[in-house]
Amino acid sequence: MQHVFETMGTVVSLRFDEGSVARSILDDVEHVFRTADTTFSLYNPASELSRIARGELTLTHSSEAVRDAYERAVHWRNATGGAFTAHRPDGVIDLSGIVKALAIEAAGEILDAAGSAGWLLNAGGDVLARVGDTESGKNAWRVGIVDPLDRTVLLCSFELDETRAALATSGTAERGEHVWRTDARQSFSQVSVLAPDIVTADVLATAILSGGQQTSDLATEQFGVEVLTVDANGELLITPWLRNAVSTEPH
Amino acid sequence: MRKRAVFGSIVSSAAVLAVGWQIGVHDTATTTLSDAAPASAGGTPKASAAPSTAASAAPKATATPTPAQTAGPATPATAAATPSAAAEAPAASAAPSPAAAAPAPAPAPTAVDQNFTGSLISTRYGTIQVQITVNSGKITEVTALKLTDDGGRSVQISARAAPVLRSEVLSAQSANVASVSGATYTSDGYLQSVQSALDQAGL
Repeated sequence: MQHVFETMGTVVSLRFDEGSVARSILDDVEHVFRTADTTFSLYNPASELSRIARGELTLTHSSEAVRDAYERAVHWRNATGGAFTAHRPDGVIDLSGIVKALAIEAAGEILDAAGSAGWLLNAGGDVLARVGDTESGKNAWRVGIVDPLDRTVLLCSFELDETRAALATSGTAERGEHVWRTDARQSFSQVSVLAPDIVTADVLATAILSGGQQTSDLATEQFGVEVLTVDANGELLITPWLRNAVSTEPH
Repeated sequence: MRKRAVFGSIVSSAAVLAVGWQIGVHDTATTTLSDAAPASAGGTPKASAAPSTAASAAPKATATPTPAQTAGPATPATAAATPSAAAEAPAASAAPSPAAAAPAPAPAPTAVDQNFTGSLISTRYGTIQVQITVNSGKITEVTALKLTDDGGRSVQISARAAPVLRSEVLSAQSANVASVSGATYTSDGYLQSVQSALDQAGL
């Protein structure tokens, strides 16, 4: 079974291993994304973050959801040496780098609580999978990474599993240069990160796009994530486990 | 292939050092890695030096080799050193180095492995310390004992992303995917995306 809906200016695609899922569960998942959008979008003048940006609301008086998201964004700012940031250069609090991942995470918790077997959630190109037990055993979810030089082609594919359940990609391909770069020398045009959870994957993908090779090394060494980067010339860098997972040749 | 160049330089200097050690000097030697490129990934390369005569009563000398600039693709597996190269080097002794962190491997039944630990070498990419294992006059292993970045944190270069050819990852296995990860698409962009095609196929 599948469920596809638009939210946050993009599209969410949800797939299930088997059988059908109650409409109420799908509604709850949609609600998570829509609430995140109305709370955090700086494109929406009525959102809490827009009100904070205009000085009508202070962070300390904002909702718990906003304060929690801000806290997590600051945690990641500190963990990435500032490559990930919770603020725009003009000082406005901008949590768009983490909000979608938080929504995917929350949606995943809803799906797990509903007792869904296996499911696969893709929100605008960031993927979270839950490998479920089916009658025929484990159903692994095979996922691909888009080639930024030709977006109709995949660079590679591999299977998500319990320990590497989240794949996020950050890039300059479609929305233009929406990431503030801290490393002027770097030239990554697309960064994919494979991690146990979607927030780690998404935040580090954004951080590496911003911070370049130095942040990539920090991410692989401190967080043990797998990384695939594509630079402006289409050249690839890949971490050892992922290289084995996608390789056509045995090592 | 800069990592090969750097390991090549490490190995070639290690090979020279090994010869120096073989002729009776079992203290540390200092090498200077001038502007070495950062080693970025991969396991420990196996190195084999040209076989040299077993330890003899050569005059005591320590070598201070300076590897050549790592411009070309030095191949670790073929780093060679000659005894004369070590013997001609001016004598110089280095400060004692910390004890090797890695336990010596169990000796082979027919030959004995000897481990030699180099000094801490400061490069602009961080600090490197290398241990070589010599068996029957040949370097059988080169192990990076200590690697730190310029912030002093320990570095596990084996976890880093390293270059890979597209031909190695592009394959027919790109078929049969359930989902696709890419830079965030807009609702309009979704319509032209691979993900959209997958969703259409499944609906």
